Amino acid sequence: MDAKADQKTSAATATAAPAAKNGERQSERVIIRTVGLKKSYLMKDVVTEALRGVDVEILTGEFISVMGPSGSGKSTFFNMIGALDSPTTGRVFIDEVDVAQLTAEELAYLRCHKIGYIFQSYNLIKYMTALENVTTPMAFGGVMPDEARERGMDLLDVVGLKERWHHRPIEMSGGQQQRVAIARGLANRPSVLLCDEPTGNLDLRTGQEILDILKRLNTDQNVTIICATHDHRMMNICDRLMWIRDGQIERLARRDEVHIEVGSIGGQTE
Amino acid sequence: MKQIDIAEQPWLGLRRTVGITADGIRYRLFRAAVTVAVIAVAVAFLMNILGESLIKRAVARNTRERITQMRLIYDWSARLTNPGSLESVLSELAANEPGQDRYREMQQMAGLDDARMAAFHQEARLARRYLGFFASLDYAKRRDAIHTAEGMAIFERLRSASGMEQFRTAMSHIKSVRFVTSYEDLDAFLARGPELLATAQAVLDGRRRAIAQVGRTLRQEPVLQALVRSEGDLGQVIREAGFVFPADTVAPVVAEQAQRLLDVLHLEETMDSEKCRQLLAQQGNVMPADVNVVMMWKYLDNPRFAARYLERMRESGVVVNSLTPERLVDLAKARDENAALLQAERLTMDAGKGFMGLGERLVWLLFVSMLVCGIGICNAMLMTVTERFTEIATLKCLGALDGFIMLMFVLESAILGIVGGCVGAILGALIALGRMLAAFGTNFVSAVPVTELLVGMVASVAMGMLLAAIAAVLPSYQAARLAPMEAMRIE
Ligand SMILES: Nc1ncnc2c1ncn2[C@@H]1O[C@H](COP(=O)(O)OP(=O)(O)OP(=O)(O)O)[C@@H](O)[C@H]1O
Ligand SMILES: [Mg+2]
Repeated sequence: MDAKADQKTSAATATAAPAAKNGERQSERVIIRTVGLKKSYLMKDVVTEALRGVDVEILTGEFISVMGPSGSGKSTFFNMIGALDSPTTGRVFIDEVDVAQLTAEELAYLRCHKIGYIFQSYNLIKYMTALENVTTPMAFGGVMPDEARERGMDLLDVVGLKERWHHRPIEMSGGQQQRVAIARGLANRPSVLLCDEPTGNLDLRTGQEILDILKRLNTDQNVTIICATHDHRMMNICDRLMWIRDGQIERLARRDEVHIEVGSIGGQTE
Repeated sequence: MKQIDIAEQPWLGLRRTVGITADGIRYRLFRAAVTVAVIAVAVAFLMNILGESLIKRAVARNTRERITQMRLIYDWSARLTNPGSLESVLSELAANEPGQDRYREMQQMAGLDDARMAAFHQEARLARRYLGFFASLDYAKRRDAIHTAEGMAIFERLRSASGMEQFRTAMSHIKSVRFVTSYEDLDAFLARGPELLATAQAVLDGRRRAIAQVGRTLRQEPVLQALVRSEGDLGQVIREAGFVFPADTVAPVVAEQAQRLLDVLHLEETMDSEKCRQLLAQQGNVMPADVNVVMMWKYLDNPRFAARYLERMRESGVVVNSLTPERLVDLAKARDENAALLQAERLTMDAGKGFMGLGERLVWLLFVSMLVCGIGICNAMLMTVTERFTEIATLKCLGALDGFIMLMFVLESAILGIVGGCVGAILGALIALGRMLAAFGTNFVSAVPVTELLVGMVASVAMGMLLAAIAAVLPSYQAARLAPMEAMRIE
């Protein structure tokens, strides 16, 4: 019941008035913390160590970019901190609650209300229309159908797919599917948004729009955003950058620190 | 500021669940159709077996009634000449319910009041139970228990101390068979034996008197001939002698059948005339010497042939009484119908035994068919679940409860089960009807037990639905319990 009240009082994403936000955080509360996080996959006697001991603290309201070469373990890291998979060893704390201690129902609640996921491979439900895909998490969260429909249309409007609400995933391009996935990730106004390459399939303009949306969510509603990306524009808007290589954190730095060194980091330019 | 306060997840309403499930089915229509087909075939098999045995049982019941009716003439010509035996009196009584014709007749003839008649009836039934028990023993056991005694002689034998002794020892050796009542009850029954026999004897005496009385009126006239007049004076005579011979139900049937039997006998005699033989020989393309009764009956239901046959009979000087071509056709038809009845009786000999009248073999078949049904549905559901692991994982990422995932699959399965079950039940019933029609002919259409069949169909549909739902429980439970990404990995 708390959750519903919460949802009703918070304004819709698209219409939120911009609020002042300077570099300083009002709160320094840790929202996600990992301790000695390791994950290895066993496939036919071959053990792949996807994560080899990740310790990181993510603060409420932070915007973090996660970078790293393909196969470095970004998606695996996302699955762990999103309570979608269980680590081989190590722990994940979300809001200081050990995820491993939660019951199935509590996990479902967590995934439904508190965390929004935007998957690298979209993972849209094939037999649902764009709108139904967006409203499904709302239905699981107990939102009434009429309200869910209204909010779903608003979200589709935000990602520019309002006219295509009745299309099924196979009737949409990759970029459009990705945008539906983004709208779905925002469905229950999560406090943490995990995005795995949210702009990977989008053209520059749409990509920029999505980045703007993410930034607005972050500034206006203090949503914690963790974003795996190869998109350099992300570096302009994030608070911290995190590099992962071979399942370990190679580097974790504030954006302003990085900017100073920009010329010296592997010749990367913006 | 948003806080993470973890509460329990609410349930998604049943209507939304059904909606999502139905969308899923619609999207995978082909897959669903295959599953439905599997279920339909299985349920059709089930329904077919059930339907055939229900129809068979109904036809058997119907046949028995109609055969009793058809044999009324034989029955009554025997009753008016032969009083029967003590044993036949008892078994006749045991087969009747209080208030039925034969029951009332025995009561009248033995001059018993209602209470004593009821007691007599009970005793007769008990005697039938005991005799049935001895009849069910195999030869060796029977020999051990009662030596070679048969019928009423069994009771005679058991009444003697040595006979009883032998029976009790034999029974104590036979572990596999239980005696129908306690031995005390048997002792008590045997003690009442003389009384029972005396009553049965009284019935027999009554019958003898009645037969004699009818015989005096008949003088030398053959009974069959006389029974043609059952509706008139003879019926009155029979009733006055003490028989229960209802004027409105039994008498007209007996009269008609007597007339028919006489006509048939007469007609079959006519074949001896040269002209009729020639006609039949021509028709059947055989030598006149090879002409037989069966041939005559085969052609007689054709009116044109019947007319010609009558003409030839007249030409050759045979007395044709009141025979007309229409009558000949009627006789042939009645003969066919009786043959069909007897055929049906043979075909339904084994009906009505075992679970729900299914017979031992059918119960086994039913069990196997349910097994096949279950395995087929299990397989279909297993495939449906495994090919949707990605979807399950995604739904779980979005906050679906394990219970919702399970419910979704169980519901889907149940819906497919209902659809497949309906198709299968209708198919199975139709096949059963068709097969029975082929076996018994149109003679028994009125005997088809419509209500029983409908109940059977509903039961089959429920069966298909239940099996489907149960089959979905295990795979969906396993899938629902996995962590989302674990499920996503399984492909
Ligand atoms: N299900 C799996 N089974 C076995 N190994 C896996 C599995 N998933 C990932 N891995 C391995 O774990 C490592 C990390 O994979 P991950 O998907 O996290 O990489 P990533 O950083 O997301 O790459 P990309 O940028 O291409 O998405 C890889 O070496 C991969 O081969
Ligand atoms: Mg990845």
